[in-house]
Amino acid sequence: MMALGHAVGRRVLLPLVGVVIVLAIWQATVAIYRLPLIVLPPPWTVATTLADLVGTRAFWRDVGVSLYEFVAGYAIGTTLGVATGLAMGESRRFRQALTPVIESLRFIVPFAWIPLTILWFGTSYAGKIMLVAYAVYFVMTVSTARAIAHVDPTLTRVGTMLGMRPLRLALRVHLPAAMPTIASAARAAAAIGWIAVVAAEYIGASAGLGLMITNAASSLATGVVIAGMIVIGLIGAGVSAAILAIARAQPSAR
Amino acid sequence: MTMNGAAAAAGRPAQRLAARLPGVLLGCAGALAAIAVWSLASHALQGGGVLNRLPGPLAVLRELARYVEGDFARDLVSSLRVFAIGWVLGVVAATLIGLVLGRSALAGAVFLPVVEAIRPVSSIAWVPLSIVWFGFGLGSKVFLVGLAVFLVVIVYAVDGCSRVPTDLERTASMLGMRRLQRFRHLILPSTLIEVLIGSRVALMAGWGTVIVAELVAADSGLGAHLIGVEQSYDVPAVMAAMISFGLSGFVMNALFTRLERHIVPWRRDATEDAP
Repeated sequence: MMALGHAVGRRVLLPLVGVVIVLAIWQATVAIYRLPLIVLPPPWTVATTLADLVGTRAFWRDVGVSLYEFVAGYAIGTTLGVATGLAMGESRRFRQALTPVIESLRFIVPFAWIPLTILWFGTSYAGKIMLVAYAVYFVMTVSTARAIAHVDPTLTRVGTMLGMRPLRLALRVHLPAAMPTIASAARAAAAIGWIAVVAAEYIGASAGLGLMITNAASSLATGVVIAGMIVIGLIGAGVSAAILAIARAQPSAR
Repeated sequence: MTMNGAAAAAGRPAQRLAARLPGVLLGCAGALAAIAVWSLASHALQGGGVLNRLPGPLAVLRELARYVEGDFARDLVSSLRVFAIGWVLGVVAATLIGLVLGRSALAGAVFLPVVEAIRPVSSIAWVPLSIVWFGFGLGSKVFLVGLAVFLVVIVYAVDGCSRVPTDLERTASMLGMRRLQRFRHLILPSTLIEVLIGSRVALMAGWGTVIVAELVAADSGLGAHLIGVEQSYDVPAVMAAMISFGLSGFVMNALFTRLERHIVPWRRDATEDAP
């Protein structure tokens, strides 16, 4: 009982103290230096701004647009990335042929593609979807290839002994065995993809959370900027949690 | 794969080359195939009009050569300066704060959750706020890069200084090492090694942040050049700028990986699985 109380104190109370201290420093900074609202609004103002924002229709439209771009790009990038990675993991030749191309493209970070996607697709959704797919694709390809190559060889031998053909072996044995690694790569890729959407929306977009906060910044509505950052962080955390839940549900289903 | 590599490394250079030759040839074939697909696609998409949507490899290469001869050095130095200042500040701040949070159980329990809550908000999300705070100059970009690096390195710093084995610390104090000596000879080295690895991992995060900050602020550096050629609808120049970005990132990563292998050779595993 004592131990339990102690654990609750450590896990809940102390972090709460940390949050309170940070908010107090924030509030004190605003009060002491008399910072105007456009530099740093106090925490309470940000909270009410966030509450007002959630009540508007435009906010939900921006959230919807950003999420749509992310989900579409993520689905495309993950599917293609896992497929390429699987092929690279299964065939040594294929891996050797593809590695230089993948490695050299991987160093062109997704953000550097933003201007090109604007030239190609304008401010439409397609450009962002391509960008997210690109960002996600390389993470998934590289991690899947590595995970497949590291699958326990015993499994392969057992599969071969049971008379499985290479394709069946790849899909029914190697892919499930590599799933934990692929799932954690999928979470890392989601974080990168989500932030790529936001960055792309800064530079050229007709709607979305990134556009919302850059617009707010240029009209010096700092409260909205911070509220938007909180929303972006929450959605990022939510997406990550959702992928974790899906990955956890997978093995129990089979 | 690792075993093959080890066996090949043990052999004589000539054998090693012979063993690797098919792989290298396949790699070249793959690269050539990619370039061929690119050329064909650029021919197929050649629609005329204002916007040359997909220039061929040669046009991009020409543009790259022109950029390298021209403003590339100036832009690179400008970007690298932002990057280096931010990176050093981020690493130093993360090391100091990591030491406090990792060594003091109370401070760790109070503030680590706050750090964990901020971490998922990528430094990219801070771009507009940082521009409100610091304007379009050097300050906002340094802040963003520093933040990006800090958020990565802090995890490594906390990990490094809290994972000194308790037995080792007890032995040291039993043998009469003072607090400061223990810090200097046990905790600090353990922390700095993790910080080193973390700061290599943070290279790419920091470099990506420089790009976004320069794309948004667009006053100087490689990112500003990229936005400039984008606004004049010059697709070959845009692609050349992208390649120059990739090359600089690649060179930095290669240099740092080599340095890291030299300083901490036993952490090969960590060097290999960086994104």
